[in-house]
Amino acid sequence: MNRFGWRIAILVGCALQITGNQLAVAQQKSQSSFVNRAISKSQPKMAKVFGASAGKVEGFATGIIVSKDGLILSSQGVFLDGRQVKVVLADGAEHIATILKRDRETQLSLLKIQADTPNFFELSAESVGEKGDWVIALSNAFKVADKDEPVSAMLGVISLRTTMEARLTKRDVAYRGELILIDAITSNPGASGGAVVTPDGKLVGIVGKIINSSETNTRLNYAVPSPVLKAFVDGKASVTSDVKPVMERQDVEFGIVLFKLGGRNNPAYIDRVVRGSPAAQAKLKSDDMIVSIAGEKIGNLKDYAESLKSLRPEEEVLMIVKRGVEMVRVRIAPRLKK
Amino acid sequence: MIKQHLEVRIVFSWLVCILIAPLCYLNADDDLSLQDRQRVAAIERYRIQAINRVIQSVVAIYDEDRQGGGSGVIIDPSGIVLTNHHVIMGAGVKGWGGLADGELYKWKLIGTDPGGDLAIIQLEGKSVFPATPLGNSDKVKVGDWALAMGNPFILTEDQVPTVTLGIVSGVKRYQPGAGKNQLVYGNCIQVDSSINPGNSGGPLFNFNGEVIGINGRGSFKERGRVNVGLGYAISANQIKNFIPDLLATKLVEHATLDASFSDRGGKVVCSKLNRDAPVAAAGLDLGDELLEFEGEKVKNANQFTNLICTLPEDWPTELLIRKQDGTEHQIVVRTFGLPYAKPRVRGGQGGKEEKDPEKKKQLERQREMIALLSANPGDIRYPEINRGYAQQILKQWKERIHQEFSIGVVKLAGEILEDGKVKGTQETWLASDGRIRVDQTIDGQLVVYQYDGDSFWLTEEGKTSELSLRESQSKWGFDQALMMSAVFRQKPFDLFGKVLIDGSDKAIGANAYRFKVDPSEGDSMYCWFSMFDLDGKPNINLVKSSFERDCLIGGGTTFESWTQVGPVQLPLKRQRVFGLEESVERQVIDSDFEWLKTVPDDLFYANAQTK
Repeated sequence: MNRFGWRIAILVGCALQITGNQLAVAQQKSQSSFVNRAISKSQPKMAKVFGASAGKVEGFATGIIVSKDGLILSSQGVFLDGRQVKVVLADGAEHIATILKRDRETQLSLLKIQADTPNFFELSAESVGEKGDWVIALSNAFKVADKDEPVSAMLGVISLRTTMEARLTKRDVAYRGELILIDAITSNPGASGGAVVTPDGKLVGIVGKIINSSETNTRLNYAVPSPVLKAFVDGKASVTSDVKPVMERQDVEFGIVLFKLGGRNNPAYIDRVVRGSPAAQAKLKSDDMIVSIAGEKIGNLKDYAESLKSLRPEEEVLMIVKRGVEMVRVRIAPRLKK
Repeated sequence: MIKQHLEVRIVFSWLVCILIAPLCYLNADDDLSLQDRQRVAAIERYRIQAINRVIQSVVAIYDEDRQGGGSGVIIDPSGIVLTNHHVIMGAGVKGWGGLADGELYKWKLIGTDPGGDLAIIQLEGKSVFPATPLGNSDKVKVGDWALAMGNPFILTEDQVPTVTLGIVSGVKRYQPGAGKNQLVYGNCIQVDSSINPGNSGGPLFNFNGEVIGINGRGSFKERGRVNVGLGYAISANQIKNFIPDLLATKLVEHATLDASFSDRGGKVVCSKLNRDAPVAAAGLDLGDELLEFEGEKVKNANQFTNLICTLPEDWPTELLIRKQDGTEHQIVVRTFGLPYAKPRVRGGQGGKEEKDPEKKKQLERQREMIALLSANPGDIRYPEINRGYAQQILKQWKERIHQEFSIGVVKLAGEILEDGKVKGTQETWLASDGRIRVDQTIDGQLVVYQYDGDSFWLTEEGKTSELSLRESQSKWGFDQALMMSAVFRQKPFDLFGKVLIDGSDKAIGANAYRFKVDPSEGDSMYCWFSMFDLDGKPNINLVKSSFERDCLIGGGTTFESWTQVGPVQLPLKRQRVFGLEESVERQVIDSDFEWLKTVPDDLFYANAQTK
C-alpha cells in the first residue's frame, strides 16, 4: 500500500474504532484499531538484547530481526563488550549472539543468532514515513520485559527529517547522518535498537542511542532511518553523501597553566594565564578554580584534560570559575594548539 | 492564571496533534471525501465526549491546609474515592478534594493498602457525586487509547483536571516495591500517557469512560521525577480485589502462599516451602509443578509473582499442581499476609514543639499516620464507618432486586437433587409482609417450616414446635427462604443481627464482599455479596451464606440463577456447598415460580394453631 493509502487506512480505522454512538460497537471495533494491529504485527520481530553493563551504563538494549536466518540489528553500546551477548526473542527463547559488525558513525551493530527467525522486518532502501505521520515505537526501555513479555509500545508522530553533524569527540551527540525526529519519548535506557514502525507495520527506522544535552538535560527522540540500516546491513560504507565529513580531532588550548603539585585528582586551579591567549581575553586570573566547561563539571586536572579533548577550535563555550567566594561565568573559545 | 492557560493549551495541542493533523492533511488533499472528513470529526467528538463523561469524577487531592497534591477518582456516587497510598502518606488522614465543578470537598481516609499503593477516601458534602465505574482491565490491550487525568504539578487553579492522552504500552507489567513489601506494582498497565508528579492516584480511563487503572508511578531513573514516557497504573481488576477490605476500614496486607516457585527446564516448580503453610498442609510439596494459578496458566515464575501481587491477605487462592508422579491436584487455600515494617515512633521532645502551632499540627499529623500504619493489619479500625458501608451495599442490593413494592406472595416450587438425582421436592412461599412457609419433602417425609414475622415454626409428623433463629438458619431450605425473604424486609438483615463488612473474598468464583452478621447472642453468620457481573459492571447480589467463613463443616448455601418473579428477583437455584472449593452436595432448582397478588387464607397457619 502506498503512503497515501495507509493514511486512509488509519482514518478509516479510527473512524471504525470510534464513530458511532453505541459504546459496545466502539469497544468491539477498538480491538482492531490500527495501533493494536501494528503492534501485534511487529512484536514477533522484536528482540531483547542483554550484555555487559559498566557502572551507570545499563547492559541492555533492544533489537529488531532483519532476516529469516537470525540477523538482528541493534545499536552500539557497552552491552556488546562483555563476554557474551544474549538475545531473547518474543517467545522467550534465549540465544547467544555473535557480533558480526558494529559501526561508530551510525552507532549500529549487527548480531547473529543460530536460529530461524521467520518474522522479520524488511529494510527499505527508500525512506519510509513523512513529517506528521503516525509512528509506533517498540522498545525495551528500562528493561520492563526480560522473558517472553512483549516490549513497550509508544505512539507518536514524525516531527522532522533532518541530518545531524557528527561530533564524535563531544559526548552529547553520538550519531552522525540522517535521522527522523519523533515525539514519542524513546530516548530512554535500553530503548536504542527498538523499532519505529508505521501503522501498517513498515519499518521507519530504529530507535537511536540517547542524545542528551548536558546543558539542558533534555533529550532528542529519534529514529535511525531504514535506508541507513539497509546500507549498514548490506555492508556499504557510505550511506549519505550530503553529510559533512567528520572533522579530525584537533588539539585545542585556552592558554592556561594549571597548578600541578600533586596527582591528577587535584582541583583545577589556574597558576598562570598566557598573555594574549583566549584565557587572557576572557580575563581569567591566577588562583581561579575551574568549576565547569561547556556544562560539564570539572572536578580535577584529569577532568580538565578530558574536557579539552571534546572541544573544537574557535567554538565558544561557557566556563565557570570560582574566584574567591564568587562564581564567575565567562564565554571562552579555545584556540588551536600550537 | 498563566499556569491554567498553559494547561489548557497542552491539552488542546494534544487534540490538535492527534486529530487536526490528519484533518489538515485532508484539507490539502482533494481526493478524500466529505464522508472521510466527517468520520474524523466524529472521532474528535467521540474523544471529547469520552473526556467530558469522566472528567467530573476526577479529584484533586490536597491535605488539610489545602497544600500538596495528588489525584483520585470517584467510583461510587456516595463519594467513595480511589487514590494511592503514597498520596495519603503525604496528605494525611483527612483533607480537601477539588472537583471539576470548582468546589472543594472534605475527605477522610477509610482504608489503605501500602503493599499495592492503594487507598480509599470518602468525600463529604454532597449527596450524589459524579462517579465513574471500574472497567474490566483484563480486556485492556497494548495499543488501546489511554486517558490519564489528574493534577500534575498542581497546575489547576479551578480544580479542573489535566488530561493527557496516550496508548497502553504494555500490560501485565511488574514494578518492584520499596521498603518492606510496600508499593509493589504487579500485573500493572504501562502507558505512554504523560504521568508526572501529582498524577499519582488519578484515574486511567479507556474511551468507554471506564476506570481501567490508577496511575501511581513512572520509570523515573536518571532524570528526576518527570515523565519519560513510561507510566504505570494499578489495574482495575487488582483494585476490585481490595475494595471490600478497604471499605472495611482496614490496613490491608498482600497475599503470600509462604511458598516460592522457580523456572526449571521450562517448568515452574516449587523451590521453597514453609512446611507450616496452609498450602503445604493442602498437599503442595517441594518440586511440584505449578500449572495454573487463579485459573490462569502459569508459564514462568515471574508470572506467578505478578499474579500473587494482585491479591489481598486471606484470599482463597486456587492452584493447579502436578505432582512428581504425574497426578494433577486442585488446591484452594487462604493466603497469609506479607507484613509491613512498623513505623518507628520517635520520642517527643517535650512541650517545646507543642507550643508552636505549626509544629503542633505537623506532629499531630505524624501521630495520626503512625497510628494508621501501626494498626494491626486486617483489623477493622472504624466499625461504625464500616457498618455504614455495609448498610449502603445492602440498600443498593435491595433497591436493585426489589424495585417496586406491591402486596402479594411469591411461590417457588422445584426439586431437591443430590448427585444429579431427585431426592425430594420443595415449595417456598415468601409473602411481601415477610411471612415465610417452606414445604419440604425428602424421601417421602414432609416437613413444614414457617415464619410468621415474629417466631419460627417447624411442623413434622403433625406436630408443630417453635424454633430459635439459629435453629431455623441451620435447616436446609428454611435458611434459603429466610435469606431470600430479606428483600421484603424494611431493613433486610436486621432479623439476623448487626452487619459488618468482614473483608475481600471470592464466592462462586468471583469477587465478593464478605459480610459478618452478629446476632445479639450466638454464632456469627457470614454472607457474600457479588460486586460485579461477568462484564465487570457493578452488580451487587447475594451469592452465598454460611455460619463458617470457609464452609468446611456445616457447609454453606449459594444463591444463583436470579430471575424476576413479580416485583422481585429471586435465585431459582440454591446449592449446598462445602469448603473453599465450593463442592456441591445438594441443590434445589425451582422450575415453577409465580407471583400471587392475594395470600391464600390458610397458608400461614402455625401461629394461629399453637396460640
